[in-house]
Amino acid sequence: MWLGKLSLNAIPFDQPIPLVAGGVVFLVLLAVIAWIIIRGHLPYLWHEWITSVDHKRIGVMYTILGLVMLLRGFVDAIMMRSQQALAFRAPGYLPPEHYDQVFSAHGTIMIFFAAMPLMIGLMNFAVPLQLGVRDVAFPTFNSTSFWLTATGALLVNISLVIGEFSRAMWLPYPPLSELRYSPGVGVDYYLWSLQIAGVGTLLTGINFVTTILKIRAPGMSYLRMPVFCWTALAANLLIIAAFPVLTATLGMLLLDRYLGFHFFTNAGGGNMMMFVNLIWAWGHPEVYILVLPAFGVFSEVIATFSGKPLFGYRSMVAATMAICLISFLVWLHHFFTMGAGGDVNGVFGIATAIIAVPTGVKIFNWMFTMYGGRIRFTTPMLWALGFTVTFVIGGMTGVLLSVPPADFLVHNSLFLVAHFHNVIIAGVLFGAFAGITYWFPKAFGFRLHEGWGKAAFWFSFAGFYVTFVPLYAVGLLGMTRRLQTYDVAAWRPWVLAAGVGILVLCIALACQVMQFIVSIRQRESLRDVTGDPWNGRSLEWSTASPPPAFNYAVLPNVQGEEPYWEIKRRAIETQQLVAEPDYKSIEMPRNSPTGFITAFFCTITGFALIWHIWWLVGLGLFGAYVVFVWFAWRDREEQIIPADEVARVDRARRRVREQWLAQNAREQWLAAHAETGEPA
Amino acid sequence: MSATEVLRSAHPPDIDPYRVGHGGGHDYATGHGEGGPASKRVIVGYGFWLFLLSDIVLFSCLFAAHAVLQTATAGGPTGPQLFDPRSVALETACLLTSSFTCGLSAVAAGARNQLWTQVFLLVTGVLGLSFLLLEAHDFAAMMARGASPQVSAFWSSFFAVVGCHGSHVTVGLLWLGTMMAQVFFKGFRPSIMRRLVCFNLFWHMLDIIWVALFTIVYLIGEGR
Amino acid sequence: MTDEHHVDDEGNLDDVGPGFMEAADHSVGEGVQGYLMGLVLAALLTVASFYVLHTNLIWGPGIVVMLVVLAIAQIGVHLVFFLHLTTAPDNTNNIFALAFGILIVILIIGGSIWIMHHLNERMMPMSGMM
Repeated sequence: MWLGKLSLNAIPFDQPIPLVAGGVVFLVLLAVIAWIIIRGHLPYLWHEWITSVDHKRIGVMYTILGLVMLLRGFVDAIMMRSQQALAFRAPGYLPPEHYDQVFSAHGTIMIFFAAMPLMIGLMNFAVPLQLGVRDVAFPTFNSTSFWLTATGALLVNISLVIGEFSRAMWLPYPPLSELRYSPGVGVDYYLWSLQIAGVGTLLTGINFVTTILKIRAPGMSYLRMPVFCWTALAANLLIIAAFPVLTATLGMLLLDRYLGFHFFTNAGGGNMMMFVNLIWAWGHPEVYILVLPAFGVFSEVIATFSGKPLFGYRSMVAATMAICLISFLVWLHHFFTMGAGGDVNGVFGIATAIIAVPTGVKIFNWMFTMYGGRIRFTTPMLWALGFTVTFVIGGMTGVLLSVPPADFLVHNSLFLVAHFHNVIIAGVLFGAFAGITYWFPKAFGFRLHEGWGKAAFWFSFAGFYVTFVPLYAVGLLGMTRRLQTYDVAAWRPWVLAAGVGILVLCIALACQVMQFIVSIRQRESLRDVTGDPWNGRSLEWSTASPPPAFNYAVLPNVQGEEPYWEIKRRAIETQQLVAEPDYKSIEMPRNSPTGFITAFFCTITGFALIWHIWWLVGLGLFGAYVVFVWFAWRDREEQIIPADEVARVDRARRRVREQWLAQNAREQWLAAHAETGEPA
Repeated sequence: MSATEVLRSAHPPDIDPYRVGHGGGHDYATGHGEGGPASKRVIVGYGFWLFLLSDIVLFSCLFAAHAVLQTATAGGPTGPQLFDPRSVALETACLLTSSFTCGLSAVAAGARNQLWTQVFLLVTGVLGLSFLLLEAHDFAAMMARGASPQVSAFWSSFFAVVGCHGSHVTVGLLWLGTMMAQVFFKGFRPSIMRRLVCFNLFWHMLDIIWVALFTIVYLIGEGR
Repeated sequence: MTDEHHVDDEGNLDDVGPGFMEAADHSVGEGVQGYLMGLVLAALLTVASFYVLHTNLIWGPGIVVMLVVLAIAQIGVHLVFFLHLTTAPDNTNNIFALAFGILIVILIIGGSIWIMHHLNERMMPMSGMM
């Protein structure tokens, strides 16, 4: 009674794979925590990172979470590909009950705990810097959002060793996900972890829309914002609009499972298709939430490394907002085959085809940006170029799928799987790596190693094609997704080819890891001294690397698009910086443990709900409420950074810039512009 | 001169704020156009407004589910058989009046009057509690007559949408109590005022959702 | 509402947050009057809704439409009198946000009803099912 459904049986002593995996992870975690404590890093970690409300720190933490969970999701992918490679007329090495958990976990982790945190991390880091302001609208909420997302990730990973994960796919369709057919704790782990993380994401959405609409540097009207901020606005508007749908729908499923409601059950008049309908009303905007920030990253990267302003700024903005709107009009294309009839299918099919148009506008604008520019093939630019080619292919298969009669043939086949991996990997993942490589020097003060970065790109690019082109083929040959075993001989060569592809992607992963290790070891030689390693065009490149806590000593006065480019041009022409500003003391939000402690209580509450430990649920909720009141009661919300500290930091930045000006800056500038023909 | 002053000095007086026929103008208001970051109270108010809109989307899913499951009574009791229109009318009166008294507490807070602010907040709370008690009584009565959420999808969706509103009212009352304590101990400092505005928005929004609720669930359900 | 932009603590032109009624803009009497007007109008619309259901004044099938109209009117009363939403330019962001929210609500509710209706129509008749 005191432990609900929890007992020692929950630990998978009879399943070697999760047991060993969980054991290894647990030991590694223990070792890391022990090292931190023994070496005395805990106070630093607590004060500078865990309780930080600084958007730059939170952005980095989100990115780290995303990369770690990407690794976990990738391990699931390796297991799936290897299982299928071995399972031609054979059982493979993963029994169906286990394989089902693997593909459910793969999708859940990749979407919610890898892709979302990576994109949100980039937005967190870059948006306030690009807007020329000091932080987001609600810094403490920002911290809370991150820690709630981490709680969700933690719960999903705990399911590996205590209990089981869901077997009901990454979107848990009833009646499989109802109590009758999934009586274990797996679906509950999934549901509570997503409900908790979903609250965090919704708070992020509110935070960023408020920031972008209400907090910008003086002079920065809407049409002077960088395109990354526009795509962040669109993505966060979608978050506000779509995530409540996820919360409500999963909430209805929870009511069915916990309180015997009949929303989606077989008995009592429930309607299973309503789950499918509502969950995809969230699910489609979700993929645009993922890809729009990636589009923004590419806009920044392509403009910077072509040495030209982005082509067609206004049409980019219009296309972004059009995608934002239309993404809410297409969700039925995920269940064309479920019998809605020609009228309904036709309307949603046409809307889906239409959404390709603004996306195409963006692709053309990127190409026209590159045309006539002097392209530097740095790692971020390679990711952008790889994206441009690969995403177009994925988009075209999407338009193929948007035609209902065609979709009837390939719905839920590996063709579909290849399509969405095509667009997500080329879009979101390449965008994440481009953004990370692009903004890494800004965040840490040194660049990532170019050689390993390029190797990582080429192996990822090749690995993607070797893995997923065979899946397109085998999908057209009729292979359904999520098969634990198969016996059609015609499929075998393709499945094996995909198995080879995953090995290539493993090499890519190794290159990424090496990139980080080597960069950290060689950081002095890769040091970003000025703060502008790429000859950037937007405001964040005017700060030091890393920027001070307050970002800007004085908020910049924005006169046009690409304000930093203007500032640089004028500085080079006049061979001096603008006059030193009148430094004033700056109010910054105080750090707060609220986010971390709230997440702690949510972890306890979530775990208790999963295992039906009702007294612990009450305790957890009470704890969360107490934290809320305690935080609301604090008297001092802000800390003051004194004017001389601001002056000291900013003067150091100015000295470095003046040195850079003195050293051949003008010659470099003229040389760079002679080629493009742009007026210097 | 601040940036805003520089920009504003070039800006003619505001007889034509929308610049009708002139292709739009520059807007030097903070937090809106080119005037720089908005003030804290605007930021907090707007963020909370966005949160309320997201809450409305959440309710709309529950409404959609209820609309779809209107006829899924699985052979059990139907809504009109068991709804008590007098009770619904009474609940509506309680909630509407509580919205009014909440507004009065906002006026009192604007005038920095501790006594009247607390009085009207208390009355709001009492009316809100009455609403909840009436609703709980209704639920108990319906369940006693065989209409529990476990009986059919119709009743599941009914209890979910009305219950979701009720739990929002409950959380609102908890928040109200906390606000009364904060106003008492900390007075009318800016952060407290911002939170009071958020609370007002929240409480009024609950009444707006109740209007939709009683219309769709009770009245239209009754009329079928 | 006033014709002028509001100013923030530093004297800069300021936007208006939703739900805001500046103490400087009105007296206590005006404030109470606004809320009282809202209460009276909302109460009238509520009574009308209940009345419409039990009277022969409206043709049967029109009752649902009338109820929806009354509900929308009452929500409007709440937005204007209780939430102080106006069409002034400093309120534009708030109106846009509301319009966006309403659009999403219409898409979700309308879209779901349309889709589910079609799906239900095309389901095979179930015999022996509850």
